[in-house]
Amino acid sequence: MITIGDLPPRDGVGRSEFDRRHFLDALLIVGFTSTAAAIAYPVGRYLVPPESGEPATASVVAGRAGALRANSAAIFKFGSKPGIVVRTAEGELRAFSAVCSHLDCTVQFKSDTSQLWCACHNGTYDLAGNVVSGPPPRGLETFRVNLRGEGDDAEIVVSRT
Amino acid sequence: MARTIALTFVILLGGARAFAAPGIVPVTANTCVACHSTLADRRLANPTRLFGGQDVHRERGFDCVDCHGGSPTSPDKAAAHDASGRVSAMAFRGKPTGRAVIATCARCHSDAELMRTFAPRQRVDQATEYATSVHGKRLTAGDTRAATCASCHGAHGIRLVSDAKSPVFPTNVATTCAGCHADPARMNGYTLADGSPLPTRQFADYQKSVHFAALTKGNDLSAPTCNDCHGNHGAAPPNVGAVANVCGTCHAVFAQKFAASVHEAIFDKGCVECHANHAVAKPSDQMLSATAPGVCQPCHNGDDKTDKGAAAAADMRGDIERLKTGIEHSSAALAHLKNAGIEVSDPQLALREAGTRLTLARTEMHGFDPAHVAPILADGMTIVATVDRAAQSGAAELTFRRRGLFVSLGAILVFVVALGLKVRQIDRRDHERRTQSAGR
Amino acid sequence: MSVIDWVDERLDLTEVRQFVAEKGVPVHAQKIWYYLGGMTLFLFSVQLFTGILLLLYYRPSAAEAYESVQFVVTQVKFGWLIRNVHSWSANLLIALAFAHFFSVFFLKSYRKPRELTWVSGMLLLFLMLGFGFSGYLLPWNELSFFATKVGTGIAGAVPVIGRFSLRLLRGGDDVTGATLSRFYGLHVAVLPALATALVGVHLLLVQRQGMSVPIDVEKKLKPGERLRQMPFFPNYILRDVLAWYLVIAVLAALAAFYPWELGTKADPFAVVPPGIRPEWYFLAMFHTLKLVPSHVLGIEGERLGVIAFGIAALFLVLVPFLDRRASRGERSPLFTVLAALGLVYLISFTIIGRYAK
Repeated sequence: MITIGDLPPRDGVGRSEFDRRHFLDALLIVGFTSTAAAIAYPVGRYLVPPESGEPATASVVAGRAGALRANSAAIFKFGSKPGIVVRTAEGELRAFSAVCSHLDCTVQFKSDTSQLWCACHNGTYDLAGNVVSGPPPRGLETFRVNLRGEGDDAEIVVSRT
Repeated sequence: MARTIALTFVILLGGARAFAAPGIVPVTANTCVACHSTLADRRLANPTRLFGGQDVHRERGFDCVDCHGGSPTSPDKAAAHDASGRVSAMAFRGKPTGRAVIATCARCHSDAELMRTFAPRQRVDQATEYATSVHGKRLTAGDTRAATCASCHGAHGIRLVSDAKSPVFPTNVATTCAGCHADPARMNGYTLADGSPLPTRQFADYQKSVHFAALTKGNDLSAPTCNDCHGNHGAAPPNVGAVANVCGTCHAVFAQKFAASVHEAIFDKGCVECHANHAVAKPSDQMLSATAPGVCQPCHNGDDKTDKGAAAAADMRGDIERLKTGIEHSSAALAHLKNAGIEVSDPQLALREAGTRLTLARTEMHGFDPAHVAPILADGMTIVATVDRAAQSGAAELTFRRRGLFVSLGAILVFVVALGLKVRQIDRRDHERRTQSAGR
Repeated sequence: MSVIDWVDERLDLTEVRQFVAEKGVPVHAQKIWYYLGGMTLFLFSVQLFTGILLLLYYRPSAAEAYESVQFVVTQVKFGWLIRNVHSWSANLLIALAFAHFFSVFFLKSYRKPRELTWVSGMLLLFLMLGFGFSGYLLPWNELSFFATKVGTGIAGAVPVIGRFSLRLLRGGDDVTGATLSRFYGLHVAVLPALATALVGVHLLLVQRQGMSVPIDVEKKLKPGERLRQMPFFPNYILRDVLAWYLVIAVLAALAAFYPWELGTKADPFAVVPPGIRPEWYFLAMFHTLKLVPSHVLGIEGERLGVIAFGIAALFLVLVPFLDRRASRGERSPLFTVLAALGLVYLISFTIIGRYAK
């Protein structure tokens, strides 16, 4: 194959020829290494698992358990739509789609009434996702909530089913 | 004599057999049914058939005589139809008409103690309400054509309001009202307060409305039909000044904004001035303009530069259109990036908030004050600008990828050239070796 | 002691050394066509490599396939590159496979004693088309869903076994998640196993029999004269590697300038997009079937078309056994003309199919 370190031919073609061949060989090594690196590097980075873990079709991490106090809520991203995870006054975790069923505005949590409220047209939902008052024709889609891990650092995992 | 024998025979065999169709609870054989079911005149025979089918009163143990009086046990017609009250508990009163219908129904339905034993939550003031309605007032004035309880609820075969086949189930109410109100022959002679003939287009108009669509196609039973705006038993059109309150029972936020606006004192018909009463169409941004097809004209003149209302409409409309266009452009840019493989779910989420601002602005617009509407839309534009910046960095990422590949392409081509030279070199060496060995 | 000597002590590499020293490639004017087979093989291994990488993240269910491809392309570092290379390399692979096929067809390399090489090669060509068809569905986007629907529908037009084949392919009566599972199994397990076996046979035959020389060149040789040979190692193999690097360059350029799109997720209940077409390598066949009248002599047009293509495929596989003249080492203009007609047909109908309404 590539005969690196070949002795120059016995009848002596000349130093320039020798240098040129060595230069070419060196160029080939550099070229091969750089193209191999240009292939190996992306493949290597590809194999490292990305931060987001897996496609967010069925479930997503909505936050850390310790970050959500009683009678408060937080908005999270589920696919490209907003979701809301609520910790009730009793400490229970619930999660819903934050898309109001009336005209798609994003709902928010009202801690004074412990209800989910839509600012656009005053739609109100209870903490079971049912419509209490206002124009929304249907309740909020309810998600399943699980904890993965222990204590305050536990991940809140929200799943569609 | 023969007739009596025949009747007795019919009672024994026919009473239950007449209603032998599966699923129908046979009427306890009584002489009313036994006789009337055999009559040739359908007007007299039909009620027995209907009452024997699904009827809310019969299912609770009520009988013909509870409304009509007379005796249910005598096969003799005169005794059965005894109007004196000596033979039967309640004197026979035949078919109630006009105000007698109200009295017949109200005998039980206005009795709170009685109704509590059957349906504790049901109201007992229907008759009182009815007296305040146009129907009730006309009936009191002697108009026998006016609607009574039976006109809407039926008399025999009455179903619960929650029964989908009831004529007063939400999806059926409009058809029931239209039975009279859409019939020009029936409505002939009735006039509006100003003397013009009572219109009969309401049902046709209503069928074009968003409310009808929501009720029938959207399966939203809370969508309004005739009784939701006009009242149930106290049916009357809302008065001047009351319209906004009526619409506001559902559209609360809009009614609130409208009540604080300049138009509240000016509009006679409230919401109806812009939105129609029966043919309520889905509103569009196009309505907000003092030039056709906007609804601000002809009160406001879009060509008149001094018209403050027209200017306000133009301001608000302009801002709304700007935000709408901005959202559309950003949305398209993000979709293009998503298709090309750039992660855009965060900006897409943010763009929804801009859409929310648009909805809020359209609500605020009912206060007719640009000073309140503009900040909301400006907020929306800020969000759109942020999303556009994210889209730009996404596009930059695409360009970066392209450049990166370009660079690696260069490296590959350098290697290819070097390899080509090496091949030539080896060939030449082989050729020299061959010629040398050939020469030796 | 070098690594090679260490292995030689244990495995006796005498035969290998002999092979390396003696293997040669004939030198003549048409030798440029020799590179096509190697380039096709190279692209096949690129597909294996990038395919395995994609396997690490892809999910073969109707609910998750599209999202997993989206995930690879947007979230995984350089996922867009791996996916782009896989998609473009698939197209290049089929193009080069056809080029290799046509060069062999024109040069009559299939003639005795290389009939089996041809047969294994034809089967490999069909396998590559199968790879393309099954792989195309896997991203589960709108275009691929409907293209699969149309394509498997055509399979149903085969006489006798058509209905059965359609159900076998689709995993049911319609294109559903069951189809996706099946195509996935085919694409990552069944077809690769078959293809590897056939490639092994194909390469073994080529190594055993050496490179074929065109009839014209052979005829010009004087009796006893042998063509000059170029040593396989290092002369030919370096040229091969050069060709492969050119292929890499083309791939990189295509991935840079025409990145593969995600499309919209497949909706089985959506209306078929107007002008739906299969990928370019099926266009000629697709357009031909569209042109056949709906009924010909009482037989359904599509069925007739499918039968015709079946006969054509069988004919192609049997070419070495049918071309007697070439087997005797004589020029065979009839088959040259057939090859030319086939090439013109494929190219023109592909172009027409691309631009027809």
